[in-house]
Amino acid sequence: MSISELLSQFGDKYLLALITTYKLTICSFGLALIIGVIITVMRISPITPLKVVADLYVQIFRNIPGASLLIVLVYALPYLNIVLSYYTCVLTATTLIPSAFCSEYLMSGMNTISPGQIEASRSIGMTFMQTIRNVVLPQAIRSSVLPLTNLMVSTMLTTAIASQVPLNPMELTGIVSYINTHAVGGITAFVISAFLYCGTAVIIGQVGNLIDRKVRILR
Amino acid sequence: MNNKNITIRDYLYEAPGPKTKRYITIGTVLSLICVAWLIYVIIRLFYENGQLDAKYWSIFTRATTWRFFGKGLLGTLEVSLAAMLVTFSLGMIMMIGRINRNKVISTIATVFIELSRGIPTLLFIYFFFLAVPQFGLKLPAFWKITLPVAISAAGVTAETLRSGVNAVPKGQREAAISLGMRDHTVFLKIIFPQAFRIVIPGLISELVIVLKDTTFAYVVSYADLMQNARVMISNYDALLSVYLVVAVIYILINYGLNKLSVYLANRRKRLQAG
Repeated sequence: MSISELLSQFGDKYLLALITTYKLTICSFGLALIIGVIITVMRISPITPLKVVADLYVQIFRNIPGASLLIVLVYALPYLNIVLSYYTCVLTATTLIPSAFCSEYLMSGMNTISPGQIEASRSIGMTFMQTIRNVVLPQAIRSSVLPLTNLMVSTMLTTAIASQVPLNPMELTGIVSYINTHAVGGITAFVISAFLYCGTAVIIGQVGNLIDRKVRILR
Repeated sequence: MNNKNITIRDYLYEAPGPKTKRYITIGTVLSLICVAWLIYVIIRLFYENGQLDAKYWSIFTRATTWRFFGKGLLGTLEVSLAAMLVTFSLGMIMMIGRINRNKVISTIATVFIELSRGIPTLLFIYFFFLAVPQFGLKLPAFWKITLPVAISAAGVTAETLRSGVNAVPKGQREAAISLGMRDHTVFLKIIFPQAFRIVIPGLISELVIVLKDTTFAYVVSYADLMQNARVMISNYDALLSVYLVVAVIYILINYGLNKLSVYLANRRKRLQAG
């Protein structure tokens, strides 16, 4: 099947799929950033139980396979009387996993700050929160731009697990298997989806590079 | 040796005074209560829905269960290792292409790397599952999962390898060339052995990604850990407990691999620091 035939038959579905993938990616990434920051604050807090829980959270969600997490959310949670919609399940899975990686990146971003800076800020009388706000966070965020860009791409790639549940509307991977089981889409359907994924990844990467060049700290 | 990795956790705070100590104690107690409450809520949730019943968990006391899991795990490991080997070979080719001085070759390699990095594994899997058979190519399930997983990890591996090559000091190359070595001899005998040692931790992290991706093996009905878990569930009607145990197995394996990767990276840093 040629591209034009495919697009005339499934064009609107493809557009919807692209929008769904973008929506999932942006929502998950935004939520993952928020949760990642909260988890990171817990990890550097002096309160041991919070540290332990946050470390455990990160270890669980950076090591669990996406398929495994999604299956637990979709098929196992109803046994605990927690029934979530397919979309919520997918969104939860694609948020929890990147949030753990987000925290890891922020931690390593913070580890680039030398102890001297913290000591200096203390000796000029900054309170703890002032040190965090004015010294630690700006540097941690600036040096995390590139990892976070990669995180956004990998979040987008993670949203492909949505094809494992009957999501409506479908996203970019789901629609390919749909077309291939309903028509002889053949290789064309794959090429279109692959192109859309890859194009988006490259654009995100370029924007990330641009921002990084603007805010990078030259040491 | 005393230059252990100090993290920001160690120097973010000064020694707490009496007031701060009190705050920390209060915070600890409060958060402990929260954690205890959370655990209680989860256990109650399990209990109220009858998921703590012995019939769901007693299967894990039988040796046959673990033998079946073990078989699945073996399948997972086989796929992971095979995929890792393919990934490494593909990554090497892409990396060598990318650092080639010929602009055309390097551009082509870059395009392949970007393609491999920007396309989800599942799309590759569906490609091998749905599109490849349309060309009349019949692959066994093993390769239907191994190849897509390997291809989708190859791009990142190529970039990891490249970072290793870039990390070898320039002087090494110059010295080798001034000794009269040819370009490929320099790469094979001088640059690559050093680069490889640098990227071993990165390659182990890559293995974690590969291992995670192999969980999609059920799409092509290959008997890996996840697929065996599904079989087990239809036999014993114990969905929640089996999926949770399988998730924990995956987490533990990946956790171990990540720890190994960090340990090797730190040991390298220590050795370099002398």
